[in-house]
Amino acid sequence: MDMEKEFIKTIQTALNRPETKVPDDLFTTTPSPEEVTLLEKIRTRTDPERQPLIEVLRRVVPGLHMDLHVEESIQDVARGIEKLILEKKPEWGTKKSVVCWDHPLIKELKLTDLPNLKGIDVYTTSMAADSPRRREEIRKEVQDSFIGITSADYCVAATATLAMKTRPGHARSVSLVPSIHVAVVRQVDILADLRELYTLLKWDEKERKEGLTNNLSLVSGPSKTGDIELVMVHGAHGPRELHLFVIP
Amino acid sequence: MELTSKDYKKSARKAIGDPVLQSALTGLQGRLGPATATLYKNLPEGPGLRNMAYQYRRKAVDNLDVMLTTLAENIRKQGGEVHFAPTARDAVDICLDIAAGNNVKKVVKGKSMVTEELGLNRALMDKGIEVNETDLGEYIIQLAGEKPSHIVAPAIHKTRKEIGRLFSEKLGTPYTDDPPTLTWDARQALRKKFMEADMGISGCNLACAETGHITTVSNEGNIRMSTTLPRVHVAFMGMERIVANLEEHQAILRLMSMGAAAQQIGGYVSYIGGPAAPDHVDGPRAFHLVIVDNGRSRILADDEFREMLCCIRCGACLNVCPVYGKVGGHTYGSAYTGPVGAVITPLLGGINEAGDLCQGETLCGACRQACPLQLNLPRMLLALRSKLSQGDPKWNVKPKSRWEKLLFNGWNFINTHRRVYDASLAIGRVIQKIMPKSEQMLTKLPYPFNGWTQSRDMKPLAAKTFMEQWKEKKEGRS
Repeated sequence: MDMEKEFIKTIQTALNRPETKVPDDLFTTTPSPEEVTLLEKIRTRTDPERQPLIEVLRRVVPGLHMDLHVEESIQDVARGIEKLILEKKPEWGTKKSVVCWDHPLIKELKLTDLPNLKGIDVYTTSMAADSPRRREEIRKEVQDSFIGITSADYCVAATATLAMKTRPGHARSVSLVPSIHVAVVRQVDILADLRELYTLLKWDEKERKEGLTNNLSLVSGPSKTGDIELVMVHGAHGPRELHLFVIP
Repeated sequence: MELTSKDYKKSARKAIGDPVLQSALTGLQGRLGPATATLYKNLPEGPGLRNMAYQYRRKAVDNLDVMLTTLAENIRKQGGEVHFAPTARDAVDICLDIAAGNNVKKVVKGKSMVTEELGLNRALMDKGIEVNETDLGEYIIQLAGEKPSHIVAPAIHKTRKEIGRLFSEKLGTPYTDDPPTLTWDARQALRKKFMEADMGISGCNLACAETGHITTVSNEGNIRMSTTLPRVHVAFMGMERIVANLEEHQAILRLMSMGAAAQQIGGYVSYIGGPAAPDHVDGPRAFHLVIVDNGRSRILADDEFREMLCCIRCGACLNVCPVYGKVGGHTYGSAYTGPVGAVITPLLGGINEAGDLCQGETLCGACRQACPLQLNLPRMLLALRSKLSQGDPKWNVKPKSRWEKLLFNGWNFINTHRRVYDASLAIGRVIQKIMPKSEQMLTKLPYPFNGWTQSRDMKPLAAKTFMEQWKEKKEGRS
């Protein structure tokens, strides 16, 4: 603690405190008129108004090496994911298993009910109480799975960015460790641009109450690198593919 | 700070003579420089966003005490631990203590300039801890035992063939020069390291004081891996890498992504505010943030250089600098290369020790245009040069060369005294007759002027000055 006091004191001396005053408006406490308007616009956006955003997404995803699947129903999504599970090859072994967030939308997929997926393990990252053993188990299941299925809090059309807060059951590693990341979002969670996302995160009452959580991840496309002679390669450490499913 | 900046001239000559490096640098600058400029032109908020972003950063730096205490308070509320390290030694010791306290044997690291500055890897390895860099570029140079040569593309100086040979030697994989296969080889080797590691170490691109989060940005996902899988996460941040609000953070984050890799936003951005909660199924069980001064408070106290603390280390200036484009990153002799390195390295590591760096730059101003915050690097380069020439006890700068000063005083005297000037010209014309020449140009001047002709030829003095010719013509006419 003494080191901390000393440290801050050194800074204050460098800043010539207390002669130079701390301004009153360092941190914002109320939204600007533009932000209020923007919040209202997001809240009152209708489904037809969201269609152009899906078109924006369609234009943006190829450049980010992402695959967009716009579907009619959750059953269609389940069929799309089933196809991926059957067609794609596991990267690290021969066994196929899939890991999912413990999330209402993902539960609706009912992947275990699909007859073609018999024999394929579908894990869920749920934990009843703080249990190191269960945590260890989930870690192994995530590591073994070649596809990880999550939802997202929001999807930003202009940059194809998925915003994911951390909550119980929403394992961070599901969107990271498996070779293929599948994200399922509803149209209502599509935003136009990053400014909308940040305005919500900052000023929306529900968001403010929850905070950014201990880990907010913004993911725009699969893992990539250009570190060898600037040649773009997908799948450096994280997922090699990212499939985004959108449903009404 | 470990510096090899004293070898600037020697390293620069070597780099200029290296055709592989020259073509890599040309490729890098040709691609990233213009792409970043285009993104700036198309900012939805207009070019004013860059001015605003500078104001945000400046406000944070001008109120750094409040920023840091707010950040620390918020992170502690979220269960994280915050440490303040006045010196590099303190920062390294804090990390070693955390490692010892958590029985850490293996560490994975996300790319971090500040840990390069601190010499953290060596300190950890001296304690018998295995350290693996995980950014592909950093991993390559760690295997090769080299230093990063670009802030964002650390292994830009290496060819795919060199990397192929390196991997087959160090990883035992079959030789290939195919970048996707090489990337997969590294992916496979490092995946194991991520899973086994006890501790993940990251830097911090920019902290947000009001929410109590640090942010990390990567495209590979290696930083997310390093900060999600090991049970302990230690993040290092230079004390100035902070901004007040989320809305300001957003603006700077976007500009940083444009400057660094010509992207609208980095592929993976993580806001990290503490360890995993008890009911979370994954994430580290402990989170430590180490805030590092290590010479930054001295920069903060100096009005001339405080602007430099607004720098977000995106590396955009490297992608346009004509000097960096020729001499490459290693020449700068520290973790910080290019125009940003030419200013920050002397300020952190010693102005005399790294004096060549600011003198090597051209003051062309390209860096200022490319900088997302339009930091006035040329002004600060000049200020450093002035300190070198005049000396400054506040920065422990000795005047670089008494001889140089004497020479310029002499030059001044000659140029302000007509007769002495004419006489010097006459003497010069006689002396130059015996100087070595090639194609009408002087190729070598005698000491102490030989430095001038080391890398350029000089036009000999004309037989008659303009004034003399003018006079003759006028007389001839009349």
